[in-house]
Formats: sequence, structure tokens, C-alpha cells
Amino acid sequence: MIMEDFKYIGKSVPRIDAADKASGKIKYMSDLNFPGMLFGKILRAKYPHALIKKIDTSQAKALPGVVAVVTWEDVPGLNGFGIVTPDQPVLCKDKVRYIGDAVAAIAAETKELAEKALTLIDVEYEPLPVVDDPIKAIQSDSPKVHDDGNIHLHTKVVRGDVRKAFEEADLVIEHIYCTGEQEHAFLEIETGIARIEEDDILTIYAGSQYPQRDQMQLSRCLALNPCKIRVVSYPVGGAFGGKDELTIQPILGLLVLKTKRPVKMVMTREESVISYWKRHPMIMKYKTGVKKDGTLVANKVIIYADTGAYASLGGPVVNLAIEHACGPYKLSNVDIEGYCIYTNNGVSGAFRGFGVPETAFAIETQMDIIAEKLGINPIELRKKNALQKGDIAPVGNKLTTSVGTVAVLDGISKTKLWKEREKYLVKNTKKPWIKRGFGFALTYQGTGLGVGLPDYGGAILRFCENGGFEVGVGLVDYGQGIGTSYAQIAAEMMKCPIDKIKVVLGDTALTADSGPTSASRGLYLGGKATIIAAEKMMTVLKEKTSEMLKVSVDNLDAENGYICMKNQPEKKISYEEIAAQFMKETDHLPETEGYFLMPLADMKVENAFGLPHHIFAFSAHLALVEVNTLTGQTKVLKGAEVIDAGDVINRQGLEAQSEGGFVMGMGYGLFENMIIEKGIFKTTNFSTYIIPSAEDIPSDIETVTVTDPEETGPYRAKGVAETVMCATAPAITNAIYNAVGLRIFKLPATSELVYTLLEKKEEKCNESTN
Amino acid sequence: MKALNYLRADTIDSALQYLDEFKQDIRIIAGGTDLVVRLKQDMVKENNILDISRIKELNGIFRENGTIHVLPLTTHTDILESEVIDKYAFILREACATIGSPQIRNRGTLGGNIVNASPAGDSISALFVQTAKLKLKSINGERVVSIEEFFTGPGKTILKPNELLVDIFMPELEENETGFFKKLGQRDALAISVLNVAVKMRRRGAGTNTFDRAVVAFGAVAPTVVRGRRVENAIISSSLDSSKQIHYIARLAFREVSPISDIRASLKYRQDMSINLLYEGLLDLRANDWKRKT
Ligand SMILES: Cc1cc2nc3c(=O)[nH]c(=O)nc-3n(C[C@H](O)[C@H](O)[C@H](O)COP(=O)(O)OP(=O)(O)OC[C@H]3O[C@@H](n4cnc5c(N)ncnc54)[C@H](O)[C@@H]3O)c2cc1C
Repeated sequence: MIMEDFKYIGKSVPRIDAADKASGKIKYMSDLNFPGMLFGKILRAKYPHALIKKIDTSQAKALPGVVAVVTWEDVPGLNGFGIVTPDQPVLCKDKVRYIGDAVAAIAAETKELAEKALTLIDVEYEPLPVVDDPIKAIQSDSPKVHDDGNIHLHTKVVRGDVRKAFEEADLVIEHIYCTGEQEHAFLEIETGIARIEEDDILTIYAGSQYPQRDQMQLSRCLALNPCKIRVVSYPVGGAFGGKDELTIQPILGLLVLKTKRPVKMVMTREESVISYWKRHPMIMKYKTGVKKDGTLVANKVIIYADTGAYASLGGPVVNLAIEHACGPYKLSNVDIEGYCIYTNNGVSGAFRGFGVPETAFAIETQMDIIAEKLGINPIELRKKNALQKGDIAPVGNKLTTSVGTVAVLDGISKTKLWKEREKYLVKNTKKPWIKRGFGFALTYQGTGLGVGLPDYGGAILRFCENGGFEVGVGLVDYGQGIGTSYAQIAAEMMKCPIDKIKVVLGDTALTADSGPTSASRGLYLGGKATIIAAEKMMTVLKEKTSEMLKVSVDNLDAENGYICMKNQPEKKISYEEIAAQFMKETDHLPETEGYFLMPLADMKVENAFGLPHHIFAFSAHLALVEVNTLTGQTKVLKGAEVIDAGDVINRQGLEAQSEGGFVMGMGYGLFENMIIEKGIFKTTNFSTYIIPSAEDIPSDIETVTVTDPEETGPYRAKGVAETVMCATAPAITNAIYNAVGLRIFKLPATSELVYTLLEKKEEKCNESTN
Repeated sequence: MKALNYLRADTIDSALQYLDEFKQDIRIIAGGTDLVVRLKQDMVKENNILDISRIKELNGIFRENGTIHVLPLTTHTDILESEVIDKYAFILREACATIGSPQIRNRGTLGGNIVNASPAGDSISALFVQTAKLKLKSINGERVVSIEEFFTGPGKTILKPNELLVDIFMPELEENETGFFKKLGQRDALAISVLNVAVKMRRRGAGTNTFDRAVVAFGAVAPTVVRGRRVENAIISSSLDSSKQIHYIARLAFREVSPISDIRASLKYRQDMSINLLYEGLLDLRANDWKRKT
């Protein structure tokens, strides 16, 4: 296939929903209002860890205008949710485990009344010692967050003989890396509205990443036949993993069932920050052995991940961190261990990268150190060890799909930033305290859920009277642009203009279950399913045309909204006419479905659920920084990403992903510092939790693609939504080293941290010269 | 957020009437960029809100007999767009340019920044070194105080409940006066000062590195913005010939400040930064032959 043959695939196609979003035409859930609607509010825990002795709601119930007050007693089904282990109560019964735990909820005529009623609920607590240090938490004498102990999951993957390999290594590098608790910081805070609609169906409008799973989890909590629940999870104003798990939906549903009236619930930013998911803070001990010539021989890693009070996706996050802990490098002696640990520090869950940005920071710093110590060019060092197609990955699986490691490394030299870096790195003679540096890092990310989990995409294609098509996929477009890509794919497949394609997403009533919008899988799986549904639809259209024209199907072709005869293209019938024919005959238009099963690796890693993955996307991240040694401030002047995305579906969409991913990685690397003291959040809004502003981001973020086509993918594409953010932080910290000779082992590298380390380094220097 | 009684005054007189009538239970709103945040946090005890934003007499920038007047409703954007300010009060301009974001600068007023009395209020340090004076008016009359006397603690001023800030004025910067405002925040926009420093110096003459007058102020390193008199004395009693000498002088800054540790920065970092920011600012200025940045 040659890309130029396509009308839409591989082109820069503007977002199909851009104008409606920019003009405010698209209604987000917080824009929805229903007649007779009540306002819901949640009473959060008073302590990060405490026993509940008594809950008295009588005063709140007595307040005029309060329609319902619910506690654990009102939860009709299982009082628990959680994608893997339903260990988080909808409403706490006898214990609270973090400061955002929900204890009671209120539905009242106005928001103000609901707020007032919250203050009237009397909860008696017996505070317990706060478990806030994940390493102490796994010791046997630690107070327990859950009865079964504080280790939610422990995974150990061993291959080869690390001990022997370390003995044979010429150089062993050992460091401890710490990463921060990143907040998703989506624009739209957890918000929803719900009511009982026709046929007694509880309909929940709340942005999320997987409506069909929400439906199943809600069914269990509410003891309701899933058919009686509809979840509409699109549009959603950003998610990044933070809306993969349930948030407000079970309480919203509960309040509607209790009051039989519509209920709306809108979090504040502060409530959102303390109550919902974050990136796991990790402490990672790395020991890497290497030969003089740069060959990596052994890697021993221990990861301690703080999952907070409940499991959610903590286990899979730790396992993915383990799988990617060695980077995309050949290593046959590895000992990688991970602990997913319960504490009272909020809750951690899914977040773009899912464990990979953490380990990428560690391994890419290790690689930079090794390159320097051995005097090997850092690109060459990575190339020497790069995994290639046919190699065995560190956790033991053979890579049989496309592997872009070397292509991406070679692509670095194609960036403008690389070509001109010498020019940019000139010394600032006027301001000698300002120092520039260049750095890069390499990463990769598995697509899909991994071995052990059925992983499939689904799409419905509906033929419309105007001769267009409606694509229904259960995934959501939370900003990454998959809706537009589905439209491109459907238009390309159906040979019709893209404006004839309508995309419907995230709705249990209208879309096919396509799994979660996560794991860089949306385009890959939803795209494949769309292709299959479209192939079927094309057959249906051709068959109808063959009846109408009385010619054989084999003689028919499709072009620009028509089915025509191969050798007589002027003999054609438009899709609109075909639709009319269907309506005339059956009063009904055809609908096709496509389902696609994710190809899986041919082995599984013992005792490591979900490992390994089978398809990976690769990227190299480049950064030019300026460090002010007087203040410790780091400014990223330029950035670039070299991405192996397979064949690109939407150029413009890919560039937006790359730029957005770079900036998110930059926030992770330099700014975003969630401060939690004894289980209490200190940085609950953007006045204190610092995400980069438009002024902070580099004026230039280049995107260079190198293509290693993935034959199994839709139009040979792979998913890149995560890899594009994973190695930005280490690219920046490696650049800081290049600028001022300072190694960063802790993220974020705030100005104060960099300044303090620089000062220490200077002291050390003075000591050694004295 | 609680329900409030909204009042609006369109003249200074009517505002003063309202203030007198409602005594302790009335709060002025100008641009609202500080007050609305407080309201949302339920940190406003008053039940009546007096909107002064449409009082024309309180808006404007003008020169009069060597004095620059910036009336309290002047927004930060107005200040950035004013040629008079650019020429005669550029230290204030540099400060206002660092406030919030375009949206905040479009709404936030100079009067609000002053009366809000945050130790991190960015215009305040600049007004300190430009030796601004404030005119406060009540139904009983008016008084003029220097900006330095105005603040008594974080969020606390000598303004009486029935008083309105009606004028902010300062001497024009002279030809041989130079200076700067420098801020350290956690990011490049929408950042509250971790600390800031403002400096004004009068050069003894072209070609010299000596100064016969210096005013220095630090923000966010004490309960109010503070003057740096030791630094000032050091500047006028020496010659700023080398970066070594400048560093020596800048190091005196640590005697001027009494910072605290909070969520944004530690005490130690703030202390060190009061030195380094001053040092960097002076070096920058020297590199530019002591001319203001343009
Ligand atoms: C996102 C954001 C970012 C910000 N960034 C910065 C920043 O970088 N630097 C900075 O210094 N500030 C910053 N601020 C604070 C604020 O914008 C400024 O202090 C602004 O100048 C306040 O002016 P205002 O007119 O909005 O004040 P208002 O909120 O209207 O009033 C503030 C206080 O002053 C009183 N007041 C106002 N005018 C008068 C008057 N004429 N007489 C008597 N009392 C009066 C009010 O009663 C109130 O107590 C920021 C605020 C926000 C929300």
C-alpha cells in the first residue's frame, strides 16, 4: 500500500469536533440540566485513617430542602468498586482510609442546601495512625490500611543469573530514583448528572473512559440488572487515565434511585484533587551492570509504588512498570521486583504511561550515566543494546511485531534540534550563571492490555438516509482525537467524503463495547473494528447495488459516494439512492458490526498478570534547557520527539499528541509536586500544584516520525498516546546534567531542588579542593 | 459561597456614604480577582459588597508637577499600556507585567493589589522603591500616607473600615535613575511570588559605577513587603565595579528578610534567593551600563 493513494489516511485532518468544541456547542456533562433536578454533595472523611464509630444523619435529614441522605446502609448491592479488586467502598461503613473517602452523600433542592446539610452530618471517628511511608508500610509492624496487610501486590520477574552477570560486569551503576504523585489536571473535573429515563433505565451522564465497564461496576453496587443502566461517558473534557476507574458515578446512581429525581454533581477542583486518582509515586532502586564496550549485562530493580488507600489499577501499573523497567534494551539477566503498597496517601490509579514514565526516568538516567562513565556516545550506547525485531525482551517474550528502537535512534539526527544543537549550546558570556544543556531519552510503550486479559475492539456502522454512515465505538475521544481518526478510517473504507461520517462514542446504548480507552489502544482496536464493520457494510451496499443494476457483485467498485461498474464507471448508484432503496423495501437501514481480537504474545510471564505485551510504540525525546544556577530554575527552550507510530493516520493529530505529551512530561519532570503530609493534601489547586503554563513551554516542539509499519494495525498504525509523554522528564534531567553537571534522581526537579543540589555540589567541590 | 447584598457606587461620594452607613459590614470589590477567591473560600465576613468598579473618578493615569498619579481602579493592563508609566514609573511597569496572566491583568487593579496587602503583592515592592504615597479618604476627610506605613501585617493595613483608597502617586523617575523589578515564581505565568525584589538607584554620573541614592524592597520574605536599608547603604557607600563587589553587597540581603517555609518554598531557599535575585538583577543592570531594560 502506498500512503499517497489514500484520501484521508496519513493526511492532516482537522478534528471533526473542533468547531463545536471551540464554539461551545458541545455540551459537557456539567452543562446539562434536567427539570426537577437535585444537587448532590459528598461528605468526605475527616481523617486520612480512622475507624467510624457512629454516623448520625438525623439533623441533615431534617433540614428542609434535603431530599435524601445516604450512607453505607443505603447501598443496595456490593458496597465496593475497583476495576481489579472492588476494595473501595461506595460509602464507608466502619473505616476511612484516605482523606477523600466518601462517608455519606446528600441530594438537596439547591447546592447551598446540600452544602449546609453536609455540615449537619455527625460522624464519630477514632483516628488511627497514618500510614504514609510506603517502605515502612510493608514492614510487619506497620499499622494496616486493609486487614490483609499493606502489600496489595508483589511481583518478581527473574531471568538469567544476575549475580553472575554483575560479577562479570566491568561497571555497575546503582542509584535510587523517586518520582512524584502527578495529578491528571484535566480541564473538566469529575462531573455528572443522572436520572431515570424511559423504561425505568437509570441513565448516568458522566465522562469516563469505558462506559460498558462502568455499567457493570454500577450494576454490582446498585444491585440492578445492567440492562437497566445506561452510561453515557462522552463528551469528556480530558481524562488521561483519571476517569478509567469509577469516580462519582455510584453515588450519583444511588441518589437517583433513592430520590427518583434527576441529580447533578459537580466536584470542585479541591475535592477532585483529594478524592480521585493520581500517578503512583515510586521509589525505584536500580543496579545496572555493563561491559566496557557498553553491552548491558544485568539489571536489578526494586520498585515500591504507593497506591494509596485502594487498589484500583495499582497492580497492573506496577506490572507494566516491571515490564518496561529495563527500557527497550536487550538484557538477559534481570531481577525485577515490584511492590504495590497501600497507604493513607490519597488514591493512585491509571495515568498516561501507566508505570512507564517512572521507570523511563530511572533507566534513561542510568543509561546516560553509563555512557558518560564509559566514554561512549549516548546514542551509540543505546543502539548497541537496542531491542530489535526477533530479540527476546527483558521479561522473556520474543518481539515479533514492529520494533522501532533503532529507527527512532537514527531519527534523532533528522531533527532540527539535533542538527543545530551546537549553535544553541553557545556559552552565555553576558550571563555566565545561565547554562545551557542538551539531553535526550528513549522509551517505548506496550499497546493494549497485555496477556491474560481478553482485549478486543468493537464498532457498529450504521447506514444513514443521507448516504453517510454513523460509527459507534464504545471508546471515548477525551482529547486524543480518536473520533477524527475513526471518521478518517470509515471515510477511507467506505469511499465517501469524511463529512458524511458521524462518530458516536462512549454510550452503552449506542456503541459497541470496545474495551477501555486506555493503554494506547483506542486507535488500534477501535480502528481495526471499524475497518471490519466497514468491509461488511461495503459488501451489503454492493449486494444491494448488484440487485438494482442487475450485475454481478464482482463487477462493482466504490468511489466517492457511489457504487459503480468497474468497466463502465458512468453506470453508478449513489449511496443515498441505495439508502432510499433499503427504506423502500424494508423501511430500515442496514447496520454492521466489527469485532477485532488483539493479537497477544506467545508466552506469559509467570506470576505477573498482564505481561508481556505484544505490540510496542517507540519514541525518543530531546530537550534543550537553560538552567539558572543562581535560582535553580530550568527553562526548556526547545523540545523534539522522534516517534515510531507505525504508519500515521492523522499527521496533525499525531503532532498534537506529541506536543501535548511533551508538555505533560515536562510538567512531571520540572513542576508538578503534589505535597501530602500525614495523609493531608497541601496542594489542592493550581495555585499551589504547579502545572506548566503557556509561558513555560518551549516555543518549538518538533515531531519527526520514523515509520516501522505495524502489519496488524489499522492501516499499519500503532498507538502513541502514552509513549509521547514517557521520556520527556529524563530527556530534561539529562539536559540539566549536560548544562550544570548535576544528576537528578528525584522528580520533579523544581527550582528549589536544583538550586539545593547545586549548592551541595559546590560545597563538595570546595571540600575536595581545600 | 454565601449570599451577599450587592451595592454599587458610581461616585466617590456615594461610595463613602455606603462605607459609612454599613460600617464594619461592607467590603469593597474592584476587579474582584482577590476578593472572589476569598469569597469562594468563605473567608469574607462582611455581608455587603460595594462595587466601585464604575467610579470614573478612580480610574486613570496622569502626570502633574513631576508626580505620577495612578488612580486605584487602573488595571495592570492599563499600566502596561501607558507611555507615562513606561517613561516615568518603569519599575512599577516591570512589576505589573509579572502579575498573573493577561486575563488577571485585565481585571485586577493597582488599588486592589495594594489593599489586599499580600506580602507577595508584586506591585507593592515596586511602589516601595518608587516611594509612592497613598491618599485615603472617608466621609470625615482625607489623609496621605507613604506606602511603607500602610501595611501592618499579611492582609492587614491601616485603612479604616470607612476609608477608600483614592489615589496612588509617586515622583517621576529621573533621567539618571535606574532600577528593576525581579520576581521568582514557580512558573513563568500565573505564579505567586516565591519572592520578589525591586531596586531603584540614582547614578552619580555617566561612566561611574557609583550611586548617591538607592531604594531596595523585598516581597514575600516577611509579613509585609520590607525595605532593604542595609543593602541601600552599601550601594551608596561603595562602587559597583565588579561582580564580586556586587555579590558582597547582595549578600547583605539576608539581613533584611525574615521568611518562612511554606508550600511554595523553604525558608532557606527564600533567604538565599533574596541574595541571588538581587545579585542577578544588579548584574543584569550593570551589563546594560546601568540603563533600564527596554
Ligand atoms: C489567578 C490569579 C493570579 C494572580 N497573580 C498575581 C500575581 O502574580 N501577583 C500579584 O501581586 N497578585 C496576583 N493575583 C492577585 C490579584 O489579581 C491582584 O492582587 C489584583 O491586583 C487585585 O486587584 P482587584 O481589583 O482584583 O482586587 P479586588 O479583589 O477587587 O480587591 C482586593 C482587596 O482590596 C480591597 N480594595 C480594592 N480596591 C480598593 C480601594 N480603592 N479602596 C479600598 N479597598 C479596596 C477590596 O476590598 C479587597 O479587600 C492573582 C490573582 C489570581 C486570581
